[in-house]
Amino acid sequence: MRYTRSTALAATAAAALMALAGCSSSGDDSDGAGGGDVDLKVWMATQEPTQKEAIDTVIADFEAANPGITVTLEERAVDSHKDALRQVAGTDSGPDIYWYWEGPGLGGELVENGMSLDLTEYYDQYKWEDRFSDAALAGITQYGGFDGIPWTMQGEAIYYNKTLFEQAGISETPATYEDLVAAADKLVAAGITPIQFGGTVNWHVMRLLDALIETKCGADLADTLNTTQAGWDTEECVTEAFTELKTWGDTYLNEGFMGINNDDSSQLFYTGEAAMAFEGTWFDSNVAENGMNPDEVGIFTFPTDTGRLYGFGEGFYVNATTTHADEAAKFLDFGTATASQEKVVGAWAAMSVNNEVDPSTDNALHGLWPDIFNAATGLYVNNDQNLSLDQTTEYWRIQNSVLTGDIAPADAGAEFQKFVDAN
Amino acid sequence: MSVIEHKEAPEGSPRRALARQTKPGRRQRGAHRNTFIAALPYLVPTALLYGYFLLYPMLDSVRISFYEWSGFRTQEPTWVGLENYVRLFTGADPVFWKAFQNSVIWVALAVLIPMTLSLLLALALNRKMIGRNLFRSVFYIPAVFASITVAAMWRWIYNPTLGAVNQVLEGIGLDSWTQQWLGNPKIALYSIFVAAVWQGVGFNMVLFLAGLQQVPPELVEAAKLDGARGPQIFRHVTVPALRPTFVVVLILTIINSLKVFDLVVGMTGGGPAQSTQVLALWSYSQSFSNHNFGQGGAVATVLLVISLCLVVPYLIWALKGEED
Repeated sequence: MRYTRSTALAATAAAALMALAGCSSSGDDSDGAGGGDVDLKVWMATQEPTQKEAIDTVIADFEAANPGITVTLEERAVDSHKDALRQVAGTDSGPDIYWYWEGPGLGGELVENGMSLDLTEYYDQYKWEDRFSDAALAGITQYGGFDGIPWTMQGEAIYYNKTLFEQAGISETPATYEDLVAAADKLVAAGITPIQFGGTVNWHVMRLLDALIETKCGADLADTLNTTQAGWDTEECVTEAFTELKTWGDTYLNEGFMGINNDDSSQLFYTGEAAMAFEGTWFDSNVAENGMNPDEVGIFTFPTDTGRLYGFGEGFYVNATTTHADEAAKFLDFGTATASQEKVVGAWAAMSVNNEVDPSTDNALHGLWPDIFNAATGLYVNNDQNLSLDQTTEYWRIQNSVLTGDIAPADAGAEFQKFVDAN
Repeated sequence: MSVIEHKEAPEGSPRRALARQTKPGRRQRGAHRNTFIAALPYLVPTALLYGYFLLYPMLDSVRISFYEWSGFRTQEPTWVGLENYVRLFTGADPVFWKAFQNSVIWVALAVLIPMTLSLLLALALNRKMIGRNLFRSVFYIPAVFASITVAAMWRWIYNPTLGAVNQVLEGIGLDSWTQQWLGNPKIALYSIFVAAVWQGVGFNMVLFLAGLQQVPPELVEAAKLDGARGPQIFRHVTVPALRPTFVVVLILTIINSLKVFDLVVGMTGGGPAQSTQVLALWSYSQSFSNHNFGQGGAVATVLLVISLCLVVPYLIWALKGEED
């Protein structure tokens, strides 16, 4: 065939039209919004085996009880999960339901940017306010509406290896911060790594810094600092906290902690090389799944002397862009109902957020948490949930710089305040 | 029209001579035009895709750098002019200069070390020897691995307690040499760079090997007959013949160095304390982790400008070579 200018132009026009057609909507109702079967997309962070089994049980039971609704679960690593949700926020590419942390710095950011459907209507319909404790609901209602549904209340404390404590001559769990330092000294003297952390995931070591700020500044001042209402450059307790952090990094943390992540460092606890781990209620399952006997492990709160428990809440949120809000609410109602929770309690936390469900007894560590929660005078929250995203990034940089010796503890507070003021 | 005019022009006249000169040019231009029109149906879809997926995001990133925007569709970007750039260059962004410095160090090291190593390997493996193809394959294989796989491998190699490097050092009695290879901010960048060298040297070696095939054997023979020795032949025959390959390898190395991202993400995530942060990763982190799309766009624009400064001369050189 001989090419002419007209055929070439016609072909060009056709190609352009085809390309434009490819960009436009096909009008295909593949999401089931037009009726018929509904597929609910649920996003969660990667689940441990027992947690995966538990959520699969909830999903299977729900699908059996609700023909026509299927649930597709997608899991991602913690940081990838955060990134993925931020990337799809405001688009139609997101899930119908997503699991996420509470608190202004994480869940609050998604709420603020319209990614959470206010579930007030469903709280009335399913009477959810009667189902959950006030403490669990506090994290949901903190933004003014009903954003999400509580899924877990996570407390964070020190897990310790009883055998290693005994070897080091530590007969009682530390009740004060001074006791904790003394115990760490005894462990070092016995040739045992006192506590393990993985520094490449910044939020792991952050737990230690958060606890030290609570310890050195007290509850009220820590709250105002963590919400940047007080000046980090003017409070002496901030310098004290960073000084203690540096001491822990130099003396008590596992060797090379800055170059490994939390999964790698946790192996030191599971294998009996490190005596303590600063973890949360989810760690009960990890301990058992990684070959430790839960009876050989104990838990005590980080002795901040304020009486507050370190911890945070997690919930399931319904995406504001979902076209299946009713089905999503139905799934959340099913998953948090007493029958479902009795089947899965203990998989994510020792205690269920459902008031009617007794604490789990299938792991010896679960039985320790009710007393810890009951003894707490309040909760102080992880700072990556308090601070904004860029403040958190800077908080981590300064935390790590102090640990590596690039910033003096005395300069750390001023460095952070400089960033807060400049932004 | 022009044909008639040419016919009418008298033989030997300047006009006729000019017509002789211009006639082939016009024919050539016409042929080029026809070829271009014929190629249009094939070019347009690609050009549309290129424009939509490459040019548009690139230009949009520059546009966003003049706004403050969290990246959420629900929030309207706010015009802030050059504020994001002021933040970068005045130190209000405490990480930018570190990332800039690391990118410069990476480029400088990449030009010096892997290029030299790959040239030496190419020269060594260009000789007739037993197992030559096996060695070529062995050195090239890391280049086909995904960077994130390489990162995972090297993260384990550098593990302070279980990693091969420290274990080997301890095994041969060099305990004092063991390091926190990725945990020490003073050496973490260089530790990542070693992994990059391991991964990248094979590809450059292949380019140099291809270049070495272009060295005219008769010139080498002639040099030998004239009494030149190995180093003299290398300096006066091989190096000049390898000049085009050097330029290609140099430019590709610089561009790839500025783009370095996945190895850093996979091995340190930019830490410890942002000590291994580089421009490409910091742009991504500002946009997608901190949700400061304006500042992320400003970092990306700085990177774009640096890249263009290096790529444009290369493109001009390459196009000039094509025309010649």
